[in-house]
Amino acid sequence: MSTTNAPAKPGRSLGRTLLQGGTVIALLALIGFFFAMRPDVFLSFTNVKNILFQVSILAIIASAQTVVMVVGDFDLSLGAISSLAGAVAAALMLGGVPMWIAISVAAGVGLLIGLANGFLIAYLRLSAFVATLATMTSVVGLAYLVTAGTTLFSLPEGFNNLGQGKFLNVPLPVYIAIVISLIIWSILRFTTLGRSWSATGGNQEVARLSGVNVRRARLLAFTLAGVVSAIGGIILAARLGSASAVQGSDNMMFSVAAVFLGMTVIRSGMANLGGTMVGVTIIGVMSNGLNILGVNSYVQQVVTGLIIIAAVTLSSLKNRER
Amino acid sequence: MRKKFTGIVAMAAVAAVAALALAGCSPTASTTTEEAAPFKVIAFTSGNQTPVGAWWVKAVAAKATELGWDLTMIQGDFDFTKMNPAVESAIGQGADAILDGYTDVASIGSIVTAAKDAGIPIFAMDSATETTDAFVAQITTDQQGIVDSTVAALDKSLGGLKGKTVMVIGHDPHPGIRMRAGLAEKAFIAAGATIAGGAIQKVKSPATGRTEALALVADYLTANPNGLDAVWVGWDDAALGASKAITEAGSSAKVTGVDATSEAIAEIQAGGSFLASIEQPWPSILDSVIGYMVAYQKDGTLPAKNYETVTTVLVDVSNAATITPSDKL
Repeated sequence: MSTTNAPAKPGRSLGRTLLQGGTVIALLALIGFFFAMRPDVFLSFTNVKNILFQVSILAIIASAQTVVMVVGDFDLSLGAISSLAGAVAAALMLGGVPMWIAISVAAGVGLLIGLANGFLIAYLRLSAFVATLATMTSVVGLAYLVTAGTTLFSLPEGFNNLGQGKFLNVPLPVYIAIVISLIIWSILRFTTLGRSWSATGGNQEVARLSGVNVRRARLLAFTLAGVVSAIGGIILAARLGSASAVQGSDNMMFSVAAVFLGMTVIRSGMANLGGTMVGVTIIGVMSNGLNILGVNSYVQQVVTGLIIIAAVTLSSLKNRER
Repeated sequence: MRKKFTGIVAMAAVAAVAALALAGCSPTASTTTEEAAPFKVIAFTSGNQTPVGAWWVKAVAAKATELGWDLTMIQGDFDFTKMNPAVESAIGQGADAILDGYTDVASIGSIVTAAKDAGIPIFAMDSATETTDAFVAQITTDQQGIVDSTVAALDKSLGGLKGKTVMVIGHDPHPGIRMRAGLAEKAFIAAGATIAGGAIQKVKSPATGRTEALALVADYLTANPNGLDAVWVGWDDAALGASKAITEAGSSAKVTGVDATSEAIAEIQAGGSFLASIEQPWPSILDSVIGYMVAYQKDGTLPAKNYETVTTVLVDVSNAATITPSDKL
């Protein structure tokens, strides 16, 4: 028996290791590939800073998406909420409202929309797909109303500095993304609320029987996601120095992709913040690396889709392995 | 039995007389209706969510009111599966003329067919970059003229284009941008410039044009510090992203765009990397198209040519203050 089992162990172990660390290995392979192609540029401080700057907004919105996906749902309206929040902040500031009040109101708008999503899904039992799709449609319309279909610009210098300023030669959005990610990671890891989210995402019925208020947990997850994505939109408006109804709309799709990529990082195959950040980094590294190599943007989109398929396949294989 | 038969005959007779009376009256009634009926126009645009498209919707409605037209306005939100059936349905209910604003002829094949079948002419503005028999009139801006003036502005600013590196940023789904980006690439190559990246850089979505262009230029400048002399962009929103990337990288490269939005005009006036844009005279183009429709309404006259281009104005620091931004029309 022992001779039969002995040769199989290393192979299984290697396979498991590859499955377990496949996404991180893919990230390292991407970095290695682009570094080999452009050793003078790719890992330079300027370019690493460039990558971090480019993914900082996505990191914030993907953090929000992670919270919702930990609960076992997803939110299609996060990109639209971020655009609306940026537009609201910009419109208020152009109307003479002080910067921090405008930012607070914009974040409050995100909170209210998140609350509405949570109510529709947790209490009225609408599917997350239908509810957030409907919310997204209305929110995009609201953003057009707020901006009157134009781009709002000439925002206050202090506001623009939030997105364009630097500390120790690193752009402020990078710090903001790190702080938000750490807060969300801490909530997920160390609080009762975070554990109730994980329990809800694992099995709602078991969570309910264990004393978790599943409805409230889902409501709070969508509400937090709304606020966080609104902050992402506000930072995006500050980074661009302007706000339009649809700017950053691609962040919704990429945030889901980042969370899916991140789900392959840990053994349980559940959404997790560390994994999401790996996913965000993969998307950022790939976009930056392919741009540096001069690869057509259409090809970039195809490659991004293929990598997501590979990640989801990997995740599926891991689940079977379990 | 006999009484019942007489009743049926009487009812049939009444019905026959009524039918004859209606038939006899109908030509007169129809003539009266035609004389009183206003000119019925179906107007549609897919670009109503853009600033210029939003202006067009309001401007056409105002013109229709002024001219006493019966206007059906259909706004497509870039969703042709929603817009095209709505227009076809309106065509089915009858109209005298159709007005297309900013909707590419390639996307409205079913509308063109339905209009032809119904014998309704389509008048259009900025809906094709070459002559097409889909429209009885189509007026747009001179794409070659746009390229000539922006390339000349860069040539002047850079002290010649020979040996310079220029990035060209386009967006293929928009026929106007696709055409002028192609013309610009040719013009730069002919002037001895090198195209950065070896080809036109393509932005995937107008909604994210600014961030996409920002990333494209930032990444290029990271890989090639001081490797750009200019960025030619097919529209202002993306040009503003390119301009921001250049400023952040500390590059001295110059940028040109197209559209003359208020934000672009402000950047031009600020004297930074944003060198110039293009004003496209949409109000006068709309006036011309409406003029053709009024002539058709009057006596059925159609324009002699079905494709016209009009000249544009280069917007630079010398005239920026005098230009009405396209998002403030």
